[in-house]
Amino acid sequence: MISLRFAVEATGARHPFVVRLNDDYGLRSTTHDVYLAEFEGADAVFEGPGGLLRVQGLRSGEADGDVLLVIPDRNIAHRLIRAASDHNTLLVTERCDQLCVMCSQPPKTRHVDMFSLLETAALLAPRDATIGISGGEPTLYKDQLFGLLTRVLEARPDVSFHVLTNAQHFVEQDVQTLRALPAGSVTWGVPLYSADPGLHDRIVGKQGAQAALLNNLAILCRAGAAIELRTVIMRLNVARLTELAVFLVTHVPFVTNWAIMQLENIGYARKNWDELFEDTSISFGHVASALDLARARGISAVLYNFPLCTVPEPYRALAPSTISDWKRRYLSECDDCSARSRCGGFFEWYPDDRGFAGVRHL
Amino acid sequence: MKVWPLKFRDLVDGTIFADDAGGWFKSDRGFLDRYGKDQLAPDDLSFLQSNGHAYERVGDLSHTAFAWRWASRQAVASPLAYVILVPTLRCNLSCGYCQVSRAAETARGFDWSSETLKDVLRFLDRLETDQIKIEFQGGEPTLRLDLLEAVRDFCRKRFLRSEFVVCTNLQRLGAAEWSFLEAADTFTSTSVDGDASTHERQRTVSAALTDEFFGNLAMAAERLGPHRMSALPTIDPFSPPDFMSLCETYEQLGIASIYLRPVNHQGFARRRRMRSEEMLLWNRMHSDFIELLIRRNAETGHFLEEYYFTHALRRVLSAGLEHHVDIRNPNLFATDYVLVDFDGKLYPTDEARMLSRIGHVDLSVGHVATGIDGERRAAMNASSMNNFDPDCIHCPYQTFCGTDLIDDVSRYGRVDVPRHDTWFCQRHMALFDKVFELVYRDDVATRLSLARWAGVAEWPIGLARRHS
Repeated sequence: MISLRFAVEATGARHPFVVRLNDDYGLRSTTHDVYLAEFEGADAVFEGPGGLLRVQGLRSGEADGDVLLVIPDRNIAHRLIRAASDHNTLLVTERCDQLCVMCSQPPKTRHVDMFSLLETAALLAPRDATIGISGGEPTLYKDQLFGLLTRVLEARPDVSFHVLTNAQHFVEQDVQTLRALPAGSVTWGVPLYSADPGLHDRIVGKQGAQAALLNNLAILCRAGAAIELRTVIMRLNVARLTELAVFLVTHVPFVTNWAIMQLENIGYARKNWDELFEDTSISFGHVASALDLARARGISAVLYNFPLCTVPEPYRALAPSTISDWKRRYLSECDDCSARSRCGGFFEWYPDDRGFAGVRHL
Repeated sequence: MKVWPLKFRDLVDGTIFADDAGGWFKSDRGFLDRYGKDQLAPDDLSFLQSNGHAYERVGDLSHTAFAWRWASRQAVASPLAYVILVPTLRCNLSCGYCQVSRAAETARGFDWSSETLKDVLRFLDRLETDQIKIEFQGGEPTLRLDLLEAVRDFCRKRFLRSEFVVCTNLQRLGAAEWSFLEAADTFTSTSVDGDASTHERQRTVSAALTDEFFGNLAMAAERLGPHRMSALPTIDPFSPPDFMSLCETYEQLGIASIYLRPVNHQGFARRRRMRSEEMLLWNRMHSDFIELLIRRNAETGHFLEEYYFTHALRRVLSAGLEHHVDIRNPNLFATDYVLVDFDGKLYPTDEARMLSRIGHVDLSVGHVATGIDGERRAAMNASSMNNFDPDCIHCPYQTFCGTDLIDDVSRYGRVDVPRHDTWFCQRHMALFDKVFELVYRDDVATRLSLARWAGVAEWPIGLARRHS
């Protein structure tokens, strides 16, 4: 598993700060750039304008261009942006106003405002990076979020964002702000679990959530926002997936794509796994029918987090490798699988004994 | 709740309803009666709301989605990046229905002059695009391979991406011609009217020329492969080919998409007397061909499609299919593509040039030396949409359909003929009737083909909604 945290020592610093690691001098030079000075045992020592930074267990070339958030008084650094990865996500808050039955990152009540540091990190991202923004619910801090997006995109027109949001907090006045963002530079990943308001509200643990969401999807549409609609399938909602497809092609045809997603066995999903997990390797019918209906009517429906062997052959082309590299693993069945190189594999925390019955090499 | 206006049309076993944003369903005369008398029942309203034909308040999701669907059904012209070039009008065949008023192979004065070539390259150079598609037509363009080479060499240097299509009769190909066609950025398009006897009757006339053509065709299939070669048959409804053998011919070439192109009412074809039953015959023949494909696909498991039917089906199913210039709305001419004739004149379409060539009407829109004449183009485009046509506004197929004022001018000498009387309208009415007949047909073989044609694994039950 790829490490997203390092043990560090930062001499002379007391407050959290952001740095970009450089193996060589001179290629990048901002006040946030630090340069590899030497290796001392298993540690790499970087020097920069603020002094020395010792990073434990870092090998040469492994983190060139990476952006770290250093917390000096705890001697840790969060690896916010890995230059060599397409899967970089900034967590802006752990608070949320929904309580989804399968939440992979259960919310906390405390919020530490890191927006300014995260903005600095985004400005240091490699060229053409897509940066994920997640939570909690990022739009609980909508002003800070809009500010970050606006400023970063102005300074770095090559960068784009993918923001996960429950879309509960947009209002008509946001249309102007959203329209002012460069076209196509922000994709809003918005979950909708059912066309039935009661079922959606039950899944997200908030009454009236679907009504607010649908109203705000209209706001996003009028703002010309790019929307990725996301539906995690569970035993609760899978039988009504085709009904949702019909709803989408009629009422939400403006989405850029519709991601039908398999469950991630972490957070609340781990606790509720037996009640929630739908084994689509045995019964793919509802998913197939929803995919076909949406695609025939012009919505680009795709499968996220589906190992290829669990998907019938005609639909495999719709299942790109989506599990982030740092939380992906392969099973023993994958060893001699011909599809391994294009398969996203399994989550690191995938339960071998309670997972898909149909895992096999292709 | 407010209900958007619905348009309707009776089919054999029900009535098709559609709104202005491309939403549709099937119901019956009972519903029509309630709708017409403003006596919709709660069930009716609930269905209309769920199917996107109604909204509660301006700006709610249903209202916004309707507006989005309406907007996405309008063709938006992209920058000029597709240029059809006619470097010569001369041809080494003289097909009975030639659509281009061709000139004899030995005739003089029907090729680009060296000045015209310079103007063409200057015209291309000034385009505000870094991607270009060039289609070489004729005449037989390979008679002037030197001009083709000059254009291709220029484009490869000038544009980031360039693609070339050579529309050739594949009749006489030497080493130089083959070498030109074999380039990776070059595609070949030809006409194959069916089996050898049909092709000979309609095009090659002599057995020797027919043999030569089919020999070259087989070689092209082998040397270019199906991905870089396309072919289509021109169909005379009074004398159609044997469609089974036409399917076999195309399948052997590795071509799964067959575009039945009706004999065009231009050029030589115009000299033929228009017979009143031609439309009826065409529509019946086309419908029979679709049925033949459905049966054949189910029996063989090898799927063929009729290109234009598939396109019509997909336009009914979703928005955004505006790449076929024969069916889009508005159909803005001389905007994203234009044609340069052998004498340097610019035309909005191939048909427009033929019509002008025979002295019927001058539809040119400028000259390659001086560019597109904006005023002439605007005058043409003012009539090139079906949104406000007094007949189209009552038609449930309006959103899926297009408009073709050049065909109207060609056949009737004017653009304001009652729509139902036109070839364009009658052909497309029948086409969309067929689409709706099939999407509501409860039959395994039909669903197999529809799924393939719609580009999905299985035809989804419940896609075509009914209300009673």
